[in-house]
This record gives sequence, structure tokens and C-alpha cells, in this order.
Amino acid sequence: MRRERTRRRLVLAALAAASVGLMAVDAGDEPHPATSAARHAAAAAFAPVSDAASAVFRPVTDAAAAIAAAPGAKRRIDELEQRNSELSAELAARDLDDRRSRDLEELLQLSGLGGYEVLPARSVTRVGTGGYADAVTLDVGTRDGVRPNMTVVDGGGLVGRVVRAAERTSTVLLISDGASSVGVRMEGTGQIGVVHGRSHPLDSDAPAELELMRADAKIAEGDRIVTMGSHDGAPFVPGVPVGTVTEVRDTPGALTRTAEVRPAVDLGALDIVGVVLAAPEEDPRDAVLPSEPPSDAGRSPKGEQG
Amino acid sequence: MKRAVSAVLLVAAVLLQVGVVDRLPLPWGAVPDAVLLVLVAVALHSGPAGAAAAGFACGLAIDLLPPADHEAGRFALLYCLVGYLVSRHGRGEARGAPARYGVAAAAALGTAAGYALLGVLLADPRVGLAAAAFAVPATAAVTMLISPVLLAPAERLLRLLDTERHDGLGPPVAPVRIGGGWRG
Repeated sequence: MRRERTRRRLVLAALAAASVGLMAVDAGDEPHPATSAARHAAAAAFAPVSDAASAVFRPVTDAAAAIAAAPGAKRRIDELEQRNSELSAELAARDLDDRRSRDLEELLQLSGLGGYEVLPARSVTRVGTGGYADAVTLDVGTRDGVRPNMTVVDGGGLVGRVVRAAERTSTVLLISDGASSVGVRMEGTGQIGVVHGRSHPLDSDAPAELELMRADAKIAEGDRIVTMGSHDGAPFVPGVPVGTVTEVRDTPGALTRTAEVRPAVDLGALDIVGVVLAAPEEDPRDAVLPSEPPSDAGRSPKGEQG
Repeated sequence: MKRAVSAVLLVAAVLLQVGVVDRLPLPWGAVPDAVLLVLVAVALHSGPAGAAAAGFACGLAIDLLPPADHEAGRFALLYCLVGYLVSRHGRGEARGAPARYGVAAAAALGTAAGYALLGVLLADPRVGLAAAAFAVPATAAVTMLISPVLLAPAERLLRLLDTERHDGLGPPVAPVRIGGGWRG
């Protein structure tokens, strides 16, 4: 028994000493040649086993990796979704910017042609009191020099006039509002009349109506209308395109002639508009109208009849 | 017969450890020690000198086989001591399953602590007090987590071999009593 105990203690001591020796040899900065040779041999012998184990357990390790990565993947998905929505918003904002830039360009062109001094503004809300009034709110006000009875235009033509100006906002009565009437002049012939807003007419979809002062005035579909201009340019400066005649009403016996008018501006989709701060020195007459009627049949149907 | 089975079990455990367990992307970096569990089972059924030698061999294999990133000899020393101590003192205690798990837990905790201690002694930059305070209990815990699937079957197989060997000699006796005077 005693010899047995001595023997196993000897074995333990020898093995422990061997381990410590190995560690001492291997602990340096550079691996000892003997241990690195042993490592290489072990790696070479183990390679096939390792490959086989990898092949067999790849599904297991993949599954474990997937499970371990699951919380991260959730977070990643959240991140990507957020990024996606950010990018979509950015893209939408860029489209909006493009459209506004186009609007501003058109506005600039119009003001250049007519010699108007224009303050660009955004239409913020469309207000309709009880469904009768047709008005929009702009994000400019007295602070920016806006006063009541100023003309409001957009790249296409006349939008309306300022009826109230607060410090930072102002309210614009659109030409389609029932209370709006604009003194106008026919392109070319120069006959004068009035364009009344009709708000929400039941008998047609034209938002405005032209009334010419003379019962025998010559008027045809496709004729274009510009503002006549008011005294001192308020509320309307002269020469701004108002719209196009779409249908001439036959009203025998009436003192005046009436026609339906399609506004030059899409009043349902107002964004960038301009408030005319100062009228031109002289009446631009027809100069602001596009050089030739737009070929778009939908917007201004042609039909030149005397 | 029992020696051969023990050797096969240990080789399988080493291959399992370096081939699979060490490569699993486990959370928190705590890796279960499959070799230790099989070594405990083997040591519970063999003499101290044999268990120490078996532990040394396994540890050396773990030290040298590819994922190893530490000085050769660390696991050799630790497993050698684990084999010896479990065989020398654990056999008397481990008469029931709970006691066996207790021995395995003590061995796992001791191995993890010893590994950290060796790291400190060898100036391993990865082993600090904070890292060890987490890694030691975590490693022991995950090792004990897989012990039912490794320790119990290995131990049961070896116990079966113990009893079979004595079938012809009389009524089966518990393996821990075979040695009789093994306490010296």
C-alpha cells in the first residue's frame, strides 16, 4: 500500500512537473519550437476530424449562430426599417422640393414677364367657412410686407387677392370664391368684363364665370383672359392671366354675355404662390400670356370661331 | 476493457470539445467543458495514477489542438490534478447521483478558477479580476448545464463495466467498494 501511494504520488508529481515545464517553455513571446511542432502535428492530425465535425455540425453551429444573433437581428431590422422610412421621407421631400423649385421658376418667369415685384409664399391651408368660402392661408404676413388687397399669382396666372393680413399669415380669397369678382380684358380684342367666382356650382364644373359688358361682344371657346388692372394696382395688377373660356352661354335677350372660365391656375393644388407687392410701371397687356396657347387640349380647348 | 472504453470516451470528449463545443458561437463567451465531465466520470472509476495520466493526456490534447490559444500545459496540469483529486477523494463521496454532480461541480469550478489563476500567474492579458469573476462561475454553470447529457451516461456505462467484470465472481458490488483498501 505504501508503495502504491508513493507510486501514484510520483506519477502525479511527474505529470504536474511536465505540465508546468510545458507552460514555462511555451509562455514566452515566441512559441518554443518543440511546442509549436507539437501544435502543428496536432493540427495536421486533427484537420480531417475538424473538417468532418464542421460538415456534420454546420447546421447546429449555424442554428446556434442564428439564435445567438436573433436579438441583434431584431435590432438590425428595426434600424433598417427606421432608415428606410427616413430615406423614403427624404425622397418625398426631394420630390416636393423639385416641384416647389419648378413652381418658383414659373413664378419668377411670370413676374419677370409682367414686371411684377413678387414675394414668394406657401399656401398653408385651404379654408372654407361653412363650405362657402374658397380661400387659402399663406405663410407670409404684414411682417413680410403683405397688405390686404394685394394680388396673388402663381406660375400659371391669377390666384386671388389678399383679404386679410396678419403678422405672419394672410388669407387669400381665390378667384373661384363666390364673393370674388375680377375685372378682366379679353386677349387681343381688349373687350372688358368681369370674372365672378362660383364656388361650387351645381350645373357645371367650371369654378368661375365670365361676364362681358356688351351683349354683342365676340367671344369664343379658347379665348384667354387677363386682368384689367385696378386703380393703383389694388386689388388686381394688370396683365395677369386669369383663365380660358371653355363654354360660351347663349343667353338671348340678356344685357351681357356670359361664358364659363377655366382658371389658368389649378386652384385645387396650390403650393408655391407669389404675392405681388408692386405693380409694374406700365400695363404689360398680353405680354404675360404664354406666347402660344398651350397645346394641351384638356387645359385650353381650341375652337377659334370669330 | 474498462480502460479501453475510458480512453474511447475521453478521445470522443476531446473531439467533441475542440470540434464542436469550442466553435459554437455561445452567448457571453462561456463555453461548457465537455472533457471535464467525461474525465470526472472516468476518474470516479479508476485509480488516482491512471486518472491523473488520463487527465494529463486530455489536457495536453486540448492544449495543442487548433482552437487552443494558450500556453501548452495549462489544461494538462489542471486535468491532471482534477483526475487525481476526483479519483483520490471523490470516489468516497460520490455514492449517489447528487454527490456525483456535486463532485463534477466542484471540479468544474476548480478547473475554471485554476485556469484563471494560471492565467494570472502567466500574465495572460485577457485574464483580469473582473473577467475571471464572471468567467469562472459562468463556465462552471454552463458545464453543469450539460452535465446530465455527458456525465450521467458516461458514468453509467463505466459502472456497468465495473459490475460486469465481477459478475462471475459473485453478487454485483458497487464500484466504489471494489478496491476495498484503496484508501491506503
